[in-house]
Amino acid sequence: MNDSLKVKTSDIERLVKASQDGDRGAFDEIMRLYQRRAMRIAVRMLGNANEAVEAVQSGFVKAYLSIGKLREPKRFEAWFFRIVTNTAISQRRAAKRRAEKIKIVESYDGKKALSPVEKRIGEELKEAIQRAMLKLSKKQAKAIALFGIEDLPREKVAQIMGCSAEAVKWHVFKARQKLKVLLKEYLE
Amino acid sequence: MACVQGKAKIEGITERVFGMKKEEEKIDLLLKRNTSEQLAGVNWDELNAAISERLNQVQQSKTYGTRFPAILKIAAGVAAAAAIIIIAVMFWMDTPKAVRLENGPGAVVKFVEGKGSAKVEILDSKGQNNQIGNRSAWIIIRTREPEVADNGQSRDEADFACLL
Repeated sequence: MNDSLKVKTSDIERLVKASQDGDRGAFDEIMRLYQRRAMRIAVRMLGNANEAVEAVQSGFVKAYLSIGKLREPKRFEAWFFRIVTNTAISQRRAAKRRAEKIKIVESYDGKKALSPVEKRIGEELKEAIQRAMLKLSKKQAKAIALFGIEDLPREKVAQIMGCSAEAVKWHVFKARQKLKVLLKEYLE
Repeated sequence: MACVQGKAKIEGITERVFGMKKEEEKIDLLLKRNTSEQLAGVNWDELNAAISERLNQVQQSKTYGTRFPAILKIAAGVAAAAAIIIIAVMFWMDTPKAVRLENGPGAVVKFVEGKGSAKVEILDSKGQNNQIGNRSAWIIIRTREPEVADNGQSRDEADFACLL
């Protein structure tokens, strides 16, 4: 499935309605259509793919259990991303404690045949980004993940976050300010 | 002079704004790079299978929940009824039983330590009534003696308890 795939609203409406009628296949199709975007948001928020895998899995389970309550199928995307971001926020607490790694994600450094120094820097940077992301407030993490990486319009991010577009702008600004300080040595 | 100062100020502000913009862009680039590099290591098929597996488990528990609610309700009802009966029996065993003679006074039998069983028989002595109109009666209590010491000291204790 292509990363840049944009899902047609009519298609998703049809799939959501079918899922609400108990069609498991329709929900599997939704899962296939949204898993990459969900992962991207979760990785951005948590700074770690292993943690993101757990958040995305839980997000899909929550969505599956409560899809019957979604009144407007055309608003599925905002509804689902809200579930994913909230799950990732909950995951952040666990992420700070968790030491065990999930095997689904392989080390990307290993694939690129980097030198030992490059590998060390890459690993350091990855950890620094994760630590920095976990230091952002919940709203800042959500705003920068949705606005920065998904390139979603500010209004849509506001809809997902349940606040005004101006508030989104403010949270993104504050998040960038914090990240600038926390990742200073990697920006030069 | 003022014009030059103003120009320099504007240039300074512009430089700072552009500098900030550059830093913001760097932050975004760093995060985007980190995200895409981390996602490059994700095994999508495995992730898909893992989610499907969890959904299957959820679906299964949902199905059981809808298929067996009546059975669960009946089981809960039976358990509750059994609990009520047990409590009632325990309460009944611990309560002194009043035994009333026909047209005569009542007698109270309380088992020692609230345990055991006995057959109680009340026989009218058919004697004369006392001053306040009561008449004596025989109370016969038949119960099993302790098995541990049929002829020991406990036998006397049991008999004594019966006489009381």
